Amino acid sequence: MRQITPNNVSKLGLAFTFSTATTHGYEAPPLVVAGTMYLITPFPNYLYALDLTKPGAPTKWTFKPKPLAASQGVACCDTVNRGAVYSKGKIIFNTLDGQTIAVDAKSGQQVWRTRLGNIQKGETITMAPLVANGKVLVGNSGGEMGVRGWIAALDEGSGKVAWKAFNTGPDKDVLIGPRFKPAYGSDRGKDLGVKTWPPNAWKIGGGNVWGWISYDPALNLIYYGTGNPGPWNPDQRPGDNKWTTGVFARDLNTGQAVWFYQSTPHDLFDHDDINENILADIPWGNSRRPVLLRPGRDGFFYVIDRRSGQVLSATPYGYVNAYRGVDLKTGRMVPNPDKDPKQGRVTRNICPAAPGLKDWNPAAFSPITGIVYIPHNNLCMDFGAMEANYIAGTPYVGADVKFYAGPGGNRGVFTAWDPLKRRAIWEIKEDLPLWSPALATAGGVIFYGTMDGWFKAVDARNGHLLWKFKAGSGIIGQPISYRGPDGRQYIAVVAGVGGWSGAVVSLKLDTRDPTAALGFANATKDLPQKTTAGGMLYVFTLPR
Amino acid sequence: MSSRFRANLTIIAAAGLVLSACDREERHSRSKPIGETVPAGQSPDTIYPGSGTPPPLDARAKLYDNNAPAIAEGQRLYMQMNCVGCHFHGGGGMGPPLMDDEWRYGGRIDQIAATIAEGRPNGMPAWRGKLTDDQIWQLAAYVRTLSGQPSKDAVASRSEEMSNTTPQTLTPREPTKTSDTAEQ
Amino acid sequence: MRRRVRPGIALVTLVLGGCSIQNYQSIYGNAAAEAQQFNALFIIFLVICAIMYVLVIGFLIAGIVRRSRAEPANVVEDGRHHETNPLLRPGLIGWGALIGTGLVALAIASFFADRSMANAAAHEKLAIDITANQWWWDVTYNSADVSKSLRTANELHLPVGVPVRIRLHSNDVIHSFWVPSLAGKQDLIPGRDNDITIMPTKVGIYRGQCAEFCGTQHAKMALVVNVDSYGDFIKWWRHQLQDAPTPTTPLAMSGYQYVTTHQCSLCHNIAGTPASATVGPDLTHLASRRSIAAGALPMSKGNLYGWVEDPQSIKPGAKMPTIGLEPKELHAVVAYLETLK
Repeated sequence: MRQITPNNVSKLGLAFTFSTATTHGYEAPPLVVAGTMYLITPFPNYLYALDLTKPGAPTKWTFKPKPLAASQGVACCDTVNRGAVYSKGKIIFNTLDGQTIAVDAKSGQQVWRTRLGNIQKGETITMAPLVANGKVLVGNSGGEMGVRGWIAALDEGSGKVAWKAFNTGPDKDVLIGPRFKPAYGSDRGKDLGVKTWPPNAWKIGGGNVWGWISYDPALNLIYYGTGNPGPWNPDQRPGDNKWTTGVFARDLNTGQAVWFYQSTPHDLFDHDDINENILADIPWGNSRRPVLLRPGRDGFFYVIDRRSGQVLSATPYGYVNAYRGVDLKTGRMVPNPDKDPKQGRVTRNICPAAPGLKDWNPAAFSPITGIVYIPHNNLCMDFGAMEANYIAGTPYVGADVKFYAGPGGNRGVFTAWDPLKRRAIWEIKEDLPLWSPALATAGGVIFYGTMDGWFKAVDARNGHLLWKFKAGSGIIGQPISYRGPDGRQYIAVVAGVGGWSGAVVSLKLDTRDPTAALGFANATKDLPQKTTAGGMLYVFTLPR
Repeated sequence: MSSRFRANLTIIAAAGLVLSACDREERHSRSKPIGETVPAGQSPDTIYPGSGTPPPLDARAKLYDNNAPAIAEGQRLYMQMNCVGCHFHGGGGMGPPLMDDEWRYGGRIDQIAATIAEGRPNGMPAWRGKLTDDQIWQLAAYVRTLSGQPSKDAVASRSEEMSNTTPQTLTPREPTKTSDTAEQ
Repeated sequence: MRRRVRPGIALVTLVLGGCSIQNYQSIYGNAAAEAQQFNALFIIFLVICAIMYVLVIGFLIAGIVRRSRAEPANVVEDGRHHETNPLLRPGLIGWGALIGTGLVALAIASFFADRSMANAAAHEKLAIDITANQWWWDVTYNSADVSKSLRTANELHLPVGVPVRIRLHSNDVIHSFWVPSLAGKQDLIPGRDNDITIMPTKVGIYRGQCAEFCGTQHAKMALVVNVDSYGDFIKWWRHQLQDAPTPTTPLAMSGYQYVTTHQCSLCHNIAGTPASATVGPDLTHLASRRSIAAGALPMSKGNLYGWVEDPQSIKPGAKMPTIGLEPKELHAVVAYLETLK
């Protein structure tokens, strides 16, 4: 929408607010369909429907799924939920204790409910499902709990499982068959999901799908990344650990794998690969090539041909010393041996840190400017590896970590990245890590939020700050732009700090222990002075 | 033997006898008697209708509280049984912090042992039947050191992990808290 | 005459001791190339030093005896710088030459022994990792194909004639790896990677022992080393890679239920079952081992009962707790453990 432009955004003001009555990290975007706004909260996963046609957007109905309270004890990084989806009159979302629920969008009555996860094994679900062509795609969380990762497709009408593919183990579980044609030799072979692990380690090996799934209707393929292998201590799992920390392309109808690319074989630093896959057609040579644009967790911006999985370019978009680079001939990431974590020792100053150069929060791509707007981190870490003990339902990590600011002293960066020129066009340094996704509007304005509560609008061309608003809590949620029932453009975001980076505030942790919150307590130990927990929706618009 | 020498000898012998009776702590290799379980329901500080007094401290507390070998074993179990995975080194994460003075379910050693054995509704696993009661009490003794409550001659003088917290021997000694957090 | 015979008898006894009946834990066991080299070096040192010792004692006795015969002239040279005893100067030169030759011989022998041991380290064909814990040995066999790597505890199987490099780590305090029949001692130091190379030359069973005081149960931290023929070794490896067999009798099945859902599963790994913990010894093929509790007890049904019921009475202070199993549970657990061949 083009109503809000760099010229008038400074006049943006509040239209209405809404308190979600939760104070854990709020990572979901508001969802607007036919004059109703839907909000899914972190645990206990309330679903609100707000009537946008009436002044003040009163609640139409609230759906309370009542997930098991014990699931809070096995959610690694705050009890977040990354969003709901709309399809054919239903709102579909996941609950923390591993259920997928479809609710009638008008009445708020449950249509179907399917249990997919088992919290006794440490399994939860935090991701936003994707609906494509009658299939609801869902993946599990639990890479820090020794949970074997999978992706499942449910029938959109009934909620029954149509197919389920694991991300470790024998080919028949991973749905690798005759259609599987990976681009690189190291991914070809039989039962690599077993052979690249010590015996039986793949059963508790991770590879979860807690991030984003994309769909290409022309090729009928879904693209998604797999999470880290378990445990974090790499000495307990020698081998490439397929099919973790990589990108799968699967056929939507059958789930059969078509190609796979592993960003970091034998992952050393918890560099999950679940970040967003942005579909774009870019000029290549004298034609256009369908690609995936991926700002990776390992610090590299990947441009991958989405038909074959071939890497066209992999360029660091920030400071990286943990890897030497990607060998484009073999597709393999070359690690830096100085930063190899060894059991019984502490390896220091590894960049990017475990949350990566960018974690789950999606970047925004503007087809008008051709630039990818990336809100991300500038963190390095110390990593002390030790023996991890597997007990089902408890963490399976084997590492003491702590994070701190990378070179420059700023913990966050907003980078406007040109994927063709392979360099940054402009950059904004931020004090705190940027854990909120970015929004790019057709009007040429970029919106993003900071962890201490500033919601900012910057000019897409040069990054100049045009407008900002201080919300009651830090912002880690996804901002959206929508056309209201009155035809005006609205910008909406929910401010509720938390998630992995904001756990010190949302979970009331003690910052005297730098290893708390899996190392983030050291990086955000000043956050409690800068913001407090909350869960408030803010909707902005231009004055009439 | 001069009388002065005899007097000195008597004094030294008497001192030796007295001092040898001082036994700072007992190191036992299994709980006694065998097979006893941690009692249920050492409830946090709450209303006790009628009498108004909280239950007395469990008799076994003095076997483990301020007992250095028990605390050392508790430290080992804390890492191996993955307590460190949720509570880290006292700062918290999936689980609440253990190094501050807010105790949802009580900070007395028998209350901590009951929490470990029974589990708690918001995600603390139940370890009864998985850890022996000896191990549970050892863990409870160690957990108390994270918040500086036990005496400083029993706590570990250095941590075995990469952490920059002050060594427990140097933190100020905190009084025991039963429960005082307003939010459950 | 008697004085010359005594050291000779000592030497012969020492050599014969190398052929003793008991050589499963003996520094004269000579069952590996390293032990043989070390023993050869020891014999060379012993012989040369014994000869020198005999000569020195001989000269000392000669000096005492000659002195007591009270010879008038006991100066080396008279006032005009002439030697009183014409043998003395060449004697002294000869003695210095003998010492020099002896020392050079020892240095050369030592050099060659050291170099050949170092050379063996560069040609290892098998890599093993041993991590010492209080008070047991965690053994991992590495393989180029990681899915064929193997984990066991307190027992080593080595193929005869193949040089093996064992990397040594420790999870807590300093231990020392010592299988006297095969090689010398090498410490396992926390935070440091040491290694030792062994090339066994004789098939047999040998016993090793922790050789650095590591806590209350240091004395009961032993290790059994089986040196097998290459074919037997490969057979053993293949068998160890198999998952634990599914129990068939009702008692063993109830033991399986207990082991995989109660205390045991928090520390032990039994491949193919839900018990996948790593902080205790791997039990997948427990019943195929010769001893339990790191050599504290030979493997037998009665010892299994005693160890599982009350480890603290056998190894007080060991990290395996005394659970206090009910008799029915104990019968079931031991029945299951016995199926883990």
